[in-house]
Amino acid sequence: MKTQSQIHATGGKGERVPAEVPPNQAAGSLGSDESYRLLVLTLRDYAILMLNPEGLVATWNPGAERFKGYRADEIIGKHFSIFYPAEALARDLPRIELEGATKLGVHEDVGWRVRKDGSQFWASVTISALRSDEGVLIGFSKVTKDLTLQRAAEARIKRQSDEILELATPVMQVWKGVVMAPLIGSLDSARTQQFMERLLNRVVETNSSVALVDIMGVPTIDTKTAQHLIESITAVRLLGAQVVLTGVRPGIAQTLVHLGINLADILTRSSLAGGLQVALNILKLEVVAKTRGLKE
Amino acid sequence: MTRDNISVIRLKDILLVTVPPEPDDETVSAFQEKVLDVMASNEPRGLVLDISTVQTLDSFFARTLMETVQMAALMGTPTVIAGMRPDVAITATLLGLSFGRTLTARNMDSAFDLIIEKAAEDLSI
Amino acid sequence: MTLRLNEDFPVNEEGDIVMARRLVREFALQRGFGSTDITRIVTAASELIRNIYVYAGKGFMRVSFNEEVVRVGITLTFSDQGPGIPDIAKAMEPGYSTGRSMGMGLSGSKRLMDELTIRSEVGKGTTVIIVKWLSK
Ligand SMILES: Nc1ncnc2c1ncn2[C@@H]1O[C@H](COP(=O)(O)OP(=O)(O)OP(=O)(O)O)[C@@H](O)[C@H]1O
Ligand SMILES: [Mg+2]
Repeated sequence: MKTQSQIHATGGKGERVPAEVPPNQAAGSLGSDESYRLLVLTLRDYAILMLNPEGLVATWNPGAERFKGYRADEIIGKHFSIFYPAEALARDLPRIELEGATKLGVHEDVGWRVRKDGSQFWASVTISALRSDEGVLIGFSKVTKDLTLQRAAEARIKRQSDEILELATPVMQVWKGVVMAPLIGSLDSARTQQFMERLLNRVVETNSSVALVDIMGVPTIDTKTAQHLIESITAVRLLGAQVVLTGVRPGIAQTLVHLGINLADILTRSSLAGGLQVALNILKLEVVAKTRGLKE
Repeated sequence: MTRDNISVIRLKDILLVTVPPEPDDETVSAFQEKVLDVMASNEPRGLVLDISTVQTLDSFFARTLMETVQMAALMGTPTVIAGMRPDVAITATLLGLSFGRTLTARNMDSAFDLIIEKAAEDLSI
Repeated sequence: MTLRLNEDFPVNEEGDIVMARRLVREFALQRGFGSTDITRIVTAASELIRNIYVYAGKGFMRVSFNEEVVRVGITLTFSDQGPGIPDIAKAMEPGYSTGRSMGMGLSGSKRLMDELTIRSEVGKGTTVIIVKWLSK
């Protein structure tokens, strides 16, 4: 939250001035320092302003100044459509929003808005109609929150979760010539493709003859998942290495047979230990072959 | 001229054929002919097709490779396809190319081992 | 040989297949794809150009870039004025071939790419459009 406002304060042009009221001036009117701090924080994150019934700016708060860039004396009396980009004006959005608020009481929107310096920010906007006791429209309150950073953070989180997804299937070298990949969670095609890429690259990097693919952590297997697995195994074979599928639980074995998926060509073991044994046997076979070759 | 792009080396009695990186169709066809020619005059114990520099293996190229392997088998020579790149292996699999039971190896060393092993098996039958 | 985006690359002879592959590889690299995706894209392109050459004799390829908020992409268009495909669904089946080949080109390209669209009219020609996306 703090960084958010700081970035706005420094990100724009020079005419911005610090907009907070010093704590000691305001503290008295509010119950405590804490509630004052909360209020300031709130004000920093939100632009809160009043519009008259025609949409002209009637009041302006420090938060509004901070992230829209206008001083109160510059903006009061101007029409609030000044905050909208050309594209929104073309859609007549300011009028639509005021009409919506008039009709329904509140109008909410998320979209791009413009700062004084012309830069755009991603905002959530809530416009509420203000009425007198007699029900006469006396104006609107408009609360704008800058979500640009939040939007960027969401994109970052999505990227990170993609990366975590990748991390979820490490491919480790467990022995000279043997790599092991524990698959955890369900497998969709995007994930399988990532997995396949990493598995194959690791097989080549480590010059491995055997890849143990452990599916103990895969909750269910459907035809599609099985298909993906078989593809990965086929691709590893094209490289000249072998795959041993381990962690095949009884439930999974049952499903595979019922689905009519033929894994007959594929080496499988119920436990990782069993798989490792097979891997070592394969390696030993290679050693035998080599000695035989030398003798000939 | 396309034939010259294909290097054939004889090591002991194993033929090592290196496939050029981005062969055009003519080179691909020349590759098959050249392999068969050299085999006829050499009667090798095995054939290693080194495709470690190949960047694109489309269905045409793959089919030619498979045919070559089958022809060599008819002439009594086991073939190992060696050095396929991970990208190419993934692509070939997605493309649905099935190399069946063709022998594959990561590198020349294991390719030679495989052929020796295979030859020993055949002798013991 | 250079090719600009959205420009037609004519396919007339067998040698053009390798040239087109090289161009597609460059564009995919420029677009920011990783090596596995590049291999996928180039291989699909190779299949579709070969189809033009084999079934229509000649045609052209075009490369364009897609821009979206959260992703970018590469679009390759393959067009010819050849005999057309009477039964597109059938042509898309793995193993179906009128050319005594493996019949893997179209179905395989679909699996290699994110999107594949075919428009074809018998006697008029065929257009195949493939797209691969890259999240930003
Ligand atoms: N551009 C085209 N014009 C006319 N017919 C086409 C065209 N492209 C494909 N076809 C038809 O669709 C069929 C399937 O094409 P596909 O590329 O999948 O397989 P193929 O070319 O027969 O074999 P492969 O590509 O595996 O060598 C072809 O046999 C052909 O009948
Ligand atoms: Mg084809």
